[in-house]
Amino acid sequence: MKEFAPLLHGYWYLFRGAGMTLLMAATAVVPATLGGVLLALLQMFGNRFARSAVVAYLFVIRGIPLLVLLTFTYYLLPLTGIDLPPFWGVVVVLACYYAAFMSEVFRAGMLSLPRAQWDAARSLGMTRRLMLQIVIFPQALRLASPPFVSLCVSLVKATSLVSIVGLWELTMASREIVERTLAPFQIFLGAAAIYFCICYTLALYGKHLERRVLGGH
Amino acid sequence: MENTLSDASSAAIDIVPAQQRVMLEMSGVSKRFGALEVLRDVSLSVQTGEVVVVIGPSGSGKTTLLRCINLLEDYERGIVSVDGEPVGYRLDARNQRVRLAERDIAAAREKIGIVFQSFNLFPHMTVLQNIVAAPVRVRGIPRARAEARARELLAMVGLSDKVAEHPVRLSGGQQQRVAIARALAMDPKIMLFDEVTSALDPELVGEVLAAMQQLARDGMTMVVVTHEMSFARDIADRIVFMDDGVIVEQGKPDQLLFSPRTERVRAFLRRYNDRYRI
Repeated sequence: MKEFAPLLHGYWYLFRGAGMTLLMAATAVVPATLGGVLLALLQMFGNRFARSAVVAYLFVIRGIPLLVLLTFTYYLLPLTGIDLPPFWGVVVVLACYYAAFMSEVFRAGMLSLPRAQWDAARSLGMTRRLMLQIVIFPQALRLASPPFVSLCVSLVKATSLVSIVGLWELTMASREIVERTLAPFQIFLGAAAIYFCICYTLALYGKHLERRVLGGH
Repeated sequence: MENTLSDASSAAIDIVPAQQRVMLEMSGVSKRFGALEVLRDVSLSVQTGEVVVVIGPSGSGKTTLLRCINLLEDYERGIVSVDGEPVGYRLDARNQRVRLAERDIAAAREKIGIVFQSFNLFPHMTVLQNIVAAPVRVRGIPRARAEARARELLAMVGLSDKVAEHPVRLSGGQQQRVAIARALAMDPKIMLFDEVTSALDPELVGEVLAAMQQLARDGMTMVVVTHEMSFARDIADRIVFMDDGVIVEQGKPDQLLFSPRTERVRAFLRRYNDRYRI
């Protein structure tokens, strides 16, 4: 038990780091989701220019590792004269990165609805906006919710990368304690347990949604 | 003398009675899927209150014809109008086709009810929500009034007890009757039925046909695509036979079914009778 003393002393610091991790993930997930819906709609209903732009964006984003994107932005932003606090800089990068993946999840949800649903809505005189609002989205979001939750889990874990660009969160907090205590195994075991608890809770929720989706069909 | 005058004036009025107004006019509609010509220069006129049944072999273009009426299927040539208003395209001063704005197309579709082979109810809504969604959100009818009308329609199709159910808990026949009620809730001028009994178990077909018969008796203008020949004979004012994307023959039910003029219709009916022995 004595070996775990550094963890017992540092647990509060780790929890504060976990709070920051959660705050960052929760802040990024909102614009990522909205951006994902917007990109999916543009790709499905935009004019040719908008569709090409979205496809190009997805192609680029999916081909670059998040860590490279974070580091690149970290060095690029000061050069452009944009003075963004590091927290918001990271949130923007995470949101842009995950919006690309979320758009595919939402698009798949919409495309997986039978064409007959679109026909039925159109035949009742619904405009495209109304059709999306009351017929397509409610069903597509339900279908998309399990993979959406998986992406949220992935986003939470991805926040650990931001410690590389100097932002303080759970992984950074762990490294700081390790530097003081020289007990990397115990501290990172604690950090891993916290990450696991957050992600496992989300995954359980995803499973619950999946059961609801499967039960409804 | 007075009698004669009065007879003459009533005859004059009867020359164009209300029932004889054209409700649906399709002229020169052509549609292709890639290299395949599905409709070739099809023209069809349906009077107000008339029930037209479209029959023909699979792949003859019946369903496409129906879907072109409310522009669920786009077509390359021709014009469709319902109740005197264009549905998808209008002709400009130089007789060129001009596509209507999306909003105008949506408005035109409100007048055309369609019931599909596979019901196409919205699975995330209850029966009542399925029926009131469009009247409330598209036509702006107050919810209470739309719900009262929906309950009337459900009573008409014999489903008053299913108001709060979700479609997944209904049988095929029940779902199809809800779909009929949903289309009627928009107070359409014309109803289109696309093989509405083809996906049903044989014992559920009767309940759907009965609802349609009731509608025809109430004077609804209907275009019905079906394989149910005896039903066609009972309900139709006119039967249209399609093959290979064209209307081959049309006429009164007894004339077309028992003394067809074309060999193509005779052959079709022979094959049909051999198979079903009706």
